[in-house]
Amino acid sequence: MKLYLGLSENSLPNQTRIFGELDGRLVDLQMACAAYLTQAEGDKANAYELASYYFPETLAGFLEWGEPAQKLLDQVMSFVTKSGVRELRGPGGEKLAYDSTDVRVLPPLQNPQKSFVIGFSDRARTEALPPAEIPTGYYKLPQTFVTTGAPVIWPKFSQELDADGGIAIVIGKAGKRIAPEKAWDHVAGAMLIIDITARDINKREGLTTNNLLGKNFPSSTCVAPALLLGKDKQNLLALEVELALDGVVKQKFALRDCVFTVEQIIAHWSVLGIKPGDWLAIGASMALQGDRLQNPVSLKIGSTIRCASKTIGALSHQVVAAGGLRR
Amino acid sequence: MKLVTFFYDEQERIGAIDQSGNVVDLINAYASYLRIDRAAEAARLAAAALGRDMIEFLKRGDKAIDAARIALKHAVTDGGADNVVERHRVRLMAPVPRPGALVSAGKNFSDHVAEMSSKTGPVAPVAFLKLPGSVIGPEDDISHPPEVKNLDYEVELAVIIGKPCVDVGLHEAMDYVAGYASFNDISARDIIRRENKSGIHLMGKSFPGFAPMGPYLVTSDEVPDPQNLKLWLRVNGETRQDSNLTYMIFKIRDMIAYWSQMGLNPGDVLTTGTPRGVAAGRKPDQVPWWLKPGDVVEAEVEGLGCLRNRVIAE
Repeated sequence: MKLYLGLSENSLPNQTRIFGELDGRLVDLQMACAAYLTQAEGDKANAYELASYYFPETLAGFLEWGEPAQKLLDQVMSFVTKSGVRELRGPGGEKLAYDSTDVRVLPPLQNPQKSFVIGFSDRARTEALPPAEIPTGYYKLPQTFVTTGAPVIWPKFSQELDADGGIAIVIGKAGKRIAPEKAWDHVAGAMLIIDITARDINKREGLTTNNLLGKNFPSSTCVAPALLLGKDKQNLLALEVELALDGVVKQKFALRDCVFTVEQIIAHWSVLGIKPGDWLAIGASMALQGDRLQNPVSLKIGSTIRCASKTIGALSHQVVAAGGLRR
Repeated sequence: MKLVTFFYDEQERIGAIDQSGNVVDLINAYASYLRIDRAAEAARLAAAALGRDMIEFLKRGDKAIDAARIALKHAVTDGGADNVVERHRVRLMAPVPRPGALVSAGKNFSDHVAEMSSKTGPVAPVAFLKLPGSVIGPEDDISHPPEVKNLDYEVELAVIIGKPCVDVGLHEAMDYVAGYASFNDISARDIIRRENKSGIHLMGKSFPGFAPMGPYLVTSDEVPDPQNLKLWLRVNGETRQDSNLTYMIFKIRDMIAYWSQMGLNPGDVLTTGTPRGVAAGRKPDQVPWWLKPGDVVEAEVEGLGCLRNRVIAE
C-alpha cells in the first residue's frame, strides 16, 4: 500500500490530505473513510469527525494511531475496491478519487524531528576508507525537502553539485534505546530519497568534521514520491533502487549493500528517541563502478535525475539555476 | 522587551516580563485591551494578532511586536492586571522551544581554538545542527545519558532570527535579528570523538536536554552592542568560563550573512560558539573533569539572564 500527502482541487491551503493509490487513481482517504463509515457501518453522524481523526492532515498523525488506523485503512481500501473507485463518492456526494495529475503531491512527512542520512555506509564507499565503527549520520532540515516534479535549484554558493540515491526507513512506532531484535517493530515502511550535495562546500566542511551548508539548501533533499507501507523485513531488503542521470543509470542500491543493518541503525539512533514520521535514510548509494567520490553523479543545469524503484515509484527532478533554467 | 514562552495552567503560552519580573500573558492581555464584549471573539482576535507560539509570533514581525508592547503596557497600567502571573507560578520554557533550525558555531573563539589544540582557525564559518528536540528551558534539568562519559558545557549567545533571511549582505545582516538569549551547548565529548572517527558528529550534540536556552528572548532594540557582551559559566558556583563576545572569530553579522545562504526563517537560532574554559580543554584541571549528576550549571550572557540547569542521571 502506497500513501501520499497532497492537496487536491477541493483543498484549502494547508489542508493537506492523505491519499491511497488504487488503479492509478489517488483516493482521498479521509473522504473515503467517511463514506465507508456512513455506508458500511451506518454511522453517519460521526463519519466526518472520525474520518478526520484517523486520517488527519499529516501522515505522521496517521502513523501515530498505529495498528488500529492501519486496519481501518485496509477496510477502507477494500470498501473502495468493492464500490468501484470511479463511482464512489463521499457521504455528501463529494469527489474522492482523483487523477494523479489533479493532486499536488507533497513530501509525505513535512516536519520530522529526526530526518537523518546515514553516511559512509555502502560497501563500495568504505573500501577506500577505514571501516566505520558506528552508523554516523547527518541531519537534513525539513525546509530542504521537495518531492517529485519539483526543480532542484542550483545554489549560488556552489560550483559542484552531485546526487546520491537511497532508501529512507520511516519510523511507525515511538521508542527509545530499542534493542536490535525489536527494531523492525518500529518500522512503518520506506520511501525514496535523492541526497543532493554541494560537493565543493561539503569537502571544505568535512575538514572540520561538519557538513551543514553542503547538505542543507532549498531542494537538497528529494523524498518519496510515496510512503510504501509495510514493515516486512524481506520485502524492504528486496527493494532495488536505481538512480539515473539523463536516462543513464548511474547507481544501483539495495539495503543489503549497506555495511550496517537496519537493526543496527535503529538501535544506534533510537538512543535519542524516535517517533512516527521520523526517518533514517541509507544513502550514499553504491556507484556502478568503484568509489562514488571518484565517480560522482555530477549534475549540470538542465540535467534530469530520476530515482526509481518498482514498488515505490519514481522521483524525477530537473536541475535549474536559481532564477531559471540558464545560469 | 523580554519575551518568554511559559507553561501555565497546562498550556504553553507566549508572554513578556514586566518591571517587577512577573509574566504577562500576551494573548490574554491583548484580548483584554481590545475591550470586546464577547470574550471568545476577543481571544480569537488576540491570538490572530500575536500568534499562538513564539515562531508564529516572530513570523508576524513588527505588527506582533507592537501588539505585544500594547498588551504589556495594558497589563501594567490600564487595569489588565488579571493577565499577569507571578514569576514563581510559571515554568519558563526556552523562548523558542522548537526552532526550525538550530545552527551552532564551532571553533569560533580564538582562545577556545587554542585550548582545543586546533592549529588554525577555520577559513569560513563552521557550524553544525543541533536537533531542535534537544532544546530545554532555563530551569529544566540536563539529563546525563548512560551512554555518555565525558559531558561538557559551552556558554554561548543565541541569536534569534526574526525575518525570512536569504543571501543577505553583511551591512544588513543585523536587521534580521529578533533578539538574543543565553545558551548552553551541552556536548558529549566521547560520543563526538567516536562519531568523528567514523564520519561526522551529530548525536554527541543532540541528546534531549543538550540545548538550554533562555530565560528570555531580549529584543534587539535593548541590546545595542551584542558583539561586546561578557559571557560566563559556573559549575556549582565555581567560574569556569569567563570571556567576551568581542573575541569571536566570525562575528554575529558574518554568521548571519554566511548561513543565510541556506535560507533562515523566523525562529531559527544561530549560536556563537564558545570561549575558553570548557572541561575538555581547561588547563588548570589536573585530572580530567566532566559534568556529573547533581552538578548545577549556570550560563549567562551579560544582560540576558541566567540559565540554571541541574544535571541529572537519565
